[in-house]
Amino acid sequence: MTALQTTTPAWANAPLRLRAARRLSTSAVARRLFLDRQVDFWLGQLHPAWSLTELRARVVQVIDETHDVKTFVLQPGGAWPGHRAGQYVPVEVEIDGVRVRRCYSIASAPGDARVAITVKRVPGGRVSGFLHDHVRAGAVLGLGAPAGDFVLGDAAGSGLLLLSGGSGVTPGMSMLRELAARGEVRDVVFLHAARSAADVIFRDELRSLDRAHRGLRVILRLDDEALAGPLDEAELRARVPDFAARETFLCGPPGMMDAMERLWAGAGARDRLHLERFVAARPRAATPTEGVTLRLSRSGRSLPVGPGTVLEQLERAGERPAYGCRMGICQTCRCRKRTGTVLDVLTGAVSSEPDEEIRLCVSVARSDLDLAL
Amino acid sequence: MSSQPLTPAETEAFGREMDALRHEVLADLGQRDVDHIRSMIRLVRYCEVSGRALLQLGLDPVTFGLGVAALATAKIFENMEVGHNVMHGQYDWTRDPALDSRTYEWDTVCPGDDWRHSHNYEHHTFTNVIGKDRDVGYGLLRLTEEQPWHVAYLGQPAAAAGLALIFQWGIGLHDLRLDELLTGRQTLAQLRVRAEPFLRKAAWQLGKDYVLFPSLALFNAPRVAAGNLLANLTRNVWSFVIIFCGHFPEDVRMYSESEATGEGRGAWYLRQLNGSANLEGGRIFHLYSGHLSHQIEHHLFPDIPAARYPEMAPRVRAICARYRQRYNTGGLRRQLGSVAARILRNSLPTPRSATAHAA
Repeated sequence: MTALQTTTPAWANAPLRLRAARRLSTSAVARRLFLDRQVDFWLGQLHPAWSLTELRARVVQVIDETHDVKTFVLQPGGAWPGHRAGQYVPVEVEIDGVRVRRCYSIASAPGDARVAITVKRVPGGRVSGFLHDHVRAGAVLGLGAPAGDFVLGDAAGSGLLLLSGGSGVTPGMSMLRELAARGEVRDVVFLHAARSAADVIFRDELRSLDRAHRGLRVILRLDDEALAGPLDEAELRARVPDFAARETFLCGPPGMMDAMERLWAGAGARDRLHLERFVAARPRAATPTEGVTLRLSRSGRSLPVGPGTVLEQLERAGERPAYGCRMGICQTCRCRKRTGTVLDVLTGAVSSEPDEEIRLCVSVARSDLDLAL
Repeated sequence: MSSQPLTPAETEAFGREMDALRHEVLADLGQRDVDHIRSMIRLVRYCEVSGRALLQLGLDPVTFGLGVAALATAKIFENMEVGHNVMHGQYDWTRDPALDSRTYEWDTVCPGDDWRHSHNYEHHTFTNVIGKDRDVGYGLLRLTEEQPWHVAYLGQPAAAAGLALIFQWGIGLHDLRLDELLTGRQTLAQLRVRAEPFLRKAAWQLGKDYVLFPSLALFNAPRVAAGNLLANLTRNVWSFVIIFCGHFPEDVRMYSESEATGEGRGAWYLRQLNGSANLEGGRIFHLYSGHLSHQIEHHLFPDIPAARYPEMAPRVRAICARYRQRYNTGGLRRQLGSVAARILRNSLPTPRSATAHAA
């Protein structure tokens, strides 16, 4: 165990009582008496952030980082399990009556009382647009459990390279903030690529951290300065000569990630490169399916997709999902689609929303699908 | 006017028009629908708390009457406008776990899972198909000449009145298929398994209304138990009236299995239309009925939020007029009278001339 993991923060013990209350309120007995709903209803009447069945957070501050990036500082409820630096958290908002979830990397350090997510406005993005335009201090958001393997772990003790591009700076920032808070910034290079100086998120904080810690070297690589073109091996060797010897944590746009992955593999240091890819909602696929796959995440099965509805495909493959009317009215075959695009044959609507409930009997796959079956 | 038969092409066109209306409303669902159902849930919670408080703490007949009214209102709204509609999946698109059709559990003795099967699947798929839709007379009443007469049906007016008083128990027992025990299609062991969720839920419901809350009231226990009983009876009779008026007035059609097999979407819409009847009334009346006063719209569009039915009704009616289909609607008194007449008429054997005519 590294220092990072042994000093499990205070949250681990504090909300135990809360968790017990939560278990009790959602038990079968309580459900019979409608207590889970009653309790949650009255808690919600008292304060919109209070709930025993869901994790919610109040927005305490919204910070403008750059022209298209904002940081939302959240005060989560007592059941917040804490996170490890580098992890992301599912954030849920209600847009026009519909709850929508997106995952955002946490930028704050695990020890902080508050949780900060830093969100770049994606052109046409429903959730990022909503957060930017409508969420102010005082708003209440839903949170999922923090997750992700992009964490320092055993690497914390060795020479580190925190490498990022654009809004990919957040998980590395969380790591750097934690190391700084613990006084463990021994040998860290923080290399961040951005379009221009105005696009550098956390610029002031990076500068002051750079001044405060002798073990930290912050390098800002700006596209609009003399060295145009993407970061290449020559430049990397010039800036960080020992890059291949450092445990490297990389998060950035897909082009950068792919280039760096090849570069590290070429240097024989692929196992020292840790990656975090943004999982963006897939673009809508309009064409019917050829060679796409159904993945069943509970059973671990993968099936090739043929003609017909998802229900028919599953049955052809020997799966036995629950169904009723087979015409889209009774909801018996409802199932969670984790990722992928489906066509609703009743409405003709094509949807790529992640974590969406679909009715198998009226859904046709339009891309690879990941189903919670 | 009774509905005119349609050609296959007309039937298809009718279905397409209904589909178009459905898509239009589905695309428009949003904040106001969520706001509506949440305000209904608030109404239920506040009514229940105030009703129970009045019954528990009051001593005089005025607070008793008010308490019963508030608690009955809470139960009626919870069962009809919230429970029934949420369990239909009308709000699944919100992805709010509190409005999730698969996990919702309602304040009656009928377990939610049983209801999701017998109602959402059987009744809404095979609406008014004799032998398939077990909601036709609930296996207790004869409502059409096509059901063979038996001397026991002479007592069905009294049976219907009795069913009204204990309607929640009728619905709860409905999915146990007790009749199949007699015909041998179900063994006692199968029944025991099937009955378990019902018995457990019924025990909780009885325990809550007749043990827990009365005992909390100490010396006031008889008053609380009586108030809870009256609230339950009120809800039973009211839901019986609304549901019978939705499917069993005269002229609401019953179908044979052969008529309903292999039907397309258009024919399914037609059967839903001709197998249902509406009740006319004001906004409060529609809310109290969980919008099942718009039984026709509910059967055409069971997964569209029920509060949308009043604004869809004129357009459904216009489509029906163009396709020469009867849109069966009337005031509560007229439709209830019609139901009573149908129950009375079918309690007697069908005269031979009528059978000959029907054949």
